Amino acid sequence: MSEIEIRALKKHYKGGVEALKTITLNIERGSFFALLGPNGAGKSTLVGIMTTLIRKDAGDIIIGGLDPEKETAAIQRYIGAASQENELDPAETPFNLLRFQGRLFGLHYAESRERAEELIIQFGLENEKHKKTASLSGGNKRRLHCALALVHRPRVLFLDEPTVGMDPLARETFWHVITSLNHKDGVTIMLTTQYLEEADRHASEMALIIDGTIHFQGTVQAFKQNVNAGDDASLEDNYLKYTKSLNNTKYINS
Amino acid sequence: MNTADLLLIRRGVTKLIFRPEAPLMGFGMSLFFLIVYNAGIGGVGFLDAFGPNGYFAFIFPIALVSLAMGSSAGASQTLNADMQSGYFRRMYLSPASRKVLIAAPMLADILSTLIFSALIIMIGALFALPFRFGVLSILGVLLLSMLWAITLCGFSTGVMIRTGRHQSAAIITNTVFPLIFLSTTYMPRELITSEWLLTASWGNPVTYVLEGMRFLLAGTSSGYFFTIAVAVLGITSLISVTFAIRSAHNIKF
Repeated sequence: MSEIEIRALKKHYKGGVEALKTITLNIERGSFFALLGPNGAGKSTLVGIMTTLIRKDAGDIIIGGLDPEKETAAIQRYIGAASQENELDPAETPFNLLRFQGRLFGLHYAESRERAEELIIQFGLENEKHKKTASLSGGNKRRLHCALALVHRPRVLFLDEPTVGMDPLARETFWHVITSLNHKDGVTIMLTTQYLEEADRHASEMALIIDGTIHFQGTVQAFKQNVNAGDDASLEDNYLKYTKSLNNTKYINS
Repeated sequence: MNTADLLLIRRGVTKLIFRPEAPLMGFGMSLFFLIVYNAGIGGVGFLDAFGPNGYFAFIFPIALVSLAMGSSAGASQTLNADMQSGYFRRMYLSPASRKVLIAAPMLADILSTLIFSALIIMIGALFALPFRFGVLSILGVLLLSMLWAITLCGFSTGVMIRTGRHQSAAIITNTVFPLIFLSTTYMPRELITSEWLLTASWGNPVTYVLEGMRFLLAGTSSGYFFTIAVAVLGITSLISVTFAIRSAHNIKF
């Protein structure tokens, strides 16, 4: 059953830059999906449109049966998003931010406190709970940033470079939380990352977007088989082989 | 209005309490103008054109006008801080109304202007400021202060959102500042001899705000000015709030 359906999606920016050229994607409910591609490929634009931050030019998107442009408030309750940049109020404490986030999403006062406590423990922020976020380390800020995306228990989670700045232990804790959401609660995860070993380890499905066009969509295994960088080659090896072959083709053609 | 909207408004007020630079600057500026103008030019207050209550009652409205001018950047400062930290985007991705997201700090700004206006009126009352229609005069003056504050705050906020720089909000204050001098701020119309200045003052909304307040306080002006001031500021308030809220479409994420 599809969780995200994208049909003939187009987006161009002022100055004629075509960020997305007729994108069609289908993401199954409960899947762990990696959206891969080089910088400037259109990943952030695609995620921006899905999370209602950017308006599309043409095409259709349906997430969980909802149209992001027409049912904005409903879609916000359905999805959670942790972008590349931290989105924290430096003057607030992690506990207050999590509680406020819960209240914004309609949790009652007591519920929001409970949920904040739960996430503080889940993300190992107990010692930082009442410190101003401005004083937190980069890794802890990142953890809090991701925890904020989970307050309202979203059914689809968009993660954009989520582990940037986290130490190995924090990364392990983070992935434990995320994979458990995916496996136990059936939350659909959409990950965009340049850390391909993380996508390799956790994602089952993937799409490769280059220059606003989808070059591949399917299982990670199928991508490896298609590119065939070697028997034990990682996703990164296959990705590099594929993108380099494209660059070489461009070079030869020019 | 739902709980999320009310929470955003409460947050806007709290932010202003913890970052009171803008309203305090406006308050300081308005008291400064009141004291300095009264001390410097107050000696001409015996002239009939100033009315029986002297120069203090005549110059008093400028304190309220400059209060809103000084504090109108509060909302844009709050919004800019949220945009710089990325937290604005976090709130933008919540089910809260996106209009309220912009309007909440503006509302906090307006509330603070009203509170400080009331404080200035109390200070004025201590110095025998007359209220021609009693409580109605106070309410009328607060209404004009509020509409003036909404006008300035809306435009400042809209400009900041469109440019992404909180310094840009000062464009509005800098634009409005000369209007004070092209008005009946220091002298009543009867004593202004320059034709061009008189003509400029007629087309200047500040004139109507000042004269409207003078009508309500010392009664040295006509009720016509108060009516025009409410009408003009009502329209400019509406335009500025619409401008600020529509500016949300220009935010680049």
